[in-house]
Amino acid sequence: MNGPGDFELEATELVRPYVITKGRGLPDDDQLSLITLVTAAPEQVQRPLRLSPEEQRLLDLCSAGYLSVAEIAGHTRLPLGVVRIMLAGLTEAGYLITRPPVARARLADKELLEEVLSGLRAKFG
Amino acid sequence: MTEYIENPALWALVVLLLIVIAVVVRQRKAAMALRQEIAGLREYYSDLEHHYMQSVASAQEQAEEATKTVLKSAMRTLQGLAAEQQLILSRLQTKHGESVILQDLLEIDHTNSQFGRRAQSIAVLCDGWLGRHRDNASVYDVVRSAQGRVRHFRRVEILSQVDFGISSRAVEPVALALAELLDNATSYSSPDTVVEINIRTVPKGVAIVVDDAGVGMNDEERARAERLLSSDRVKSVAGLGNPPQFGLAVIGVLSERFGFEVSVDSSSPYGGVRAVVLLPHELLTSMPEKKAPAAPMTRSSVPPPQPNGPEPVPASPTTTDGLPLRRRKRPMAIVPGSAPTPIASARSGAETAAIMGAFQRGTRSGRAARGDDTDQSISTRGSSSEGHEFS
Repeated sequence: MNGPGDFELEATELVRPYVITKGRGLPDDDQLSLITLVTAAPEQVQRPLRLSPEEQRLLDLCSAGYLSVAEIAGHTRLPLGVVRIMLAGLTEAGYLITRPPVARARLADKELLEEVLSGLRAKFG
Repeated sequence: MTEYIENPALWALVVLLLIVIAVVVRQRKAAMALRQEIAGLREYYSDLEHHYMQSVASAQEQAEEATKTVLKSAMRTLQGLAAEQQLILSRLQTKHGESVILQDLLEIDHTNSQFGRRAQSIAVLCDGWLGRHRDNASVYDVVRSAQGRVRHFRRVEILSQVDFGISSRAVEPVALALAELLDNATSYSSPDTVVEINIRTVPKGVAIVVDDAGVGMNDEERARAERLLSSDRVKSVAGLGNPPQFGLAVIGVLSERFGFEVSVDSSSPYGGVRAVVLLPHELLTSMPEKKAPAAPMTRSSVPPPQPNGPEPVPASPTTTDGLPLRRRKRPMAIVPGSAPTPIASARSGAETAAIMGAFQRGTRSGRAARGDDTDQSISTRGSSSEGHEFS
């Protein structure tokens, strides 16, 4: 049935990414961005058997501590968007908790500092 | 007597009799000849008929073969193109994984898979190319692969899994047969219902049970389905009806050729059809190992873990990809090495008292021997050994 030369193409993945995401859409960027931190929910005792191997693997990765979405995607061999869709699904189901990225420290307001300084000078100086 | 002989009437009678006999004999001969001719003709006719049937059959066969050959090579081209497109799509999905295009790419991928399956089904009916070589895969992955090849794959739910794999030669046929079953199940049930898949181990192997909540089949349809799945099905592409119904014919060919069983004769608890694919032990393997990341999909730009990093941790846990796994940082307050704690708690009250006593004696002797260096060292040594006795 399979003649010679049938194996010239490299085989693609047996399970296509859209099946892994179960056809769900991409989550919002502000809900789950590249640098959102994700970890496994602490109260999860046992995982239901219904989760796909890919989802199980994501939970395994996340159980070690907070990881950014970008890092998690790096560990899997799946496209980043696919990982984001799966993470959003797992978060919705309560297996994962997300934390917005640590906000960048804001520079102190120079004017305010000067006002404080002048106020202190006026009082004590 | 002589008077009779001389009677001309007698002679006339004799002559007449002779003539009659001659005529009868001739008639008989003619009739016999005619009968023989008729028999000969009949034989000739049946011969002709036979030849005619034979030549019609062979002409049909030739036409069928010709159709099959044409379709086969046409499908081979289409299958090749679909496979190529899938490869391109995989690359694009990895490349544009971060952008919103991914959503559309996934949808194109889905359409492409359906397209590939259609071509593959026709190819199977024409004894054509089944597809690329596959490695052993878990039953669950093969089922999901089949799920991805039908239009309404979102309505398909896999409810249970087993720890079995399918051997490489049966991966594509099982996936394709199951895809055809799922296609039937999703097309003949209402769009808001779910098609359930249960994978179970049975004594004969592994059974994949597909239940739909459609209207089921009547007796006629059931008989037709049985016929298509059995070995005395329509052998020609032309006999598939208009519009052609490939599904069951494809499943029939595949199950016969690769040695698994498919039945659609029971009804599901939801009122629709229950289809069962029974995979015998010959087609099963143990659970395949997860593929190493050396596959073409991995991004080669990912750097290996730095050997001379700031804090080389020996034997740090790594993922299957070889990347270091980040550990949850311990709270600062916990004293490193929590192992002694259970030992201490396991001491009995008397032991604890003895240790405390030893400690007290030690400090007392130490205080008493202040200034005398040698005495202090000896007594300290003694007390410490005393303390260790109990620990």
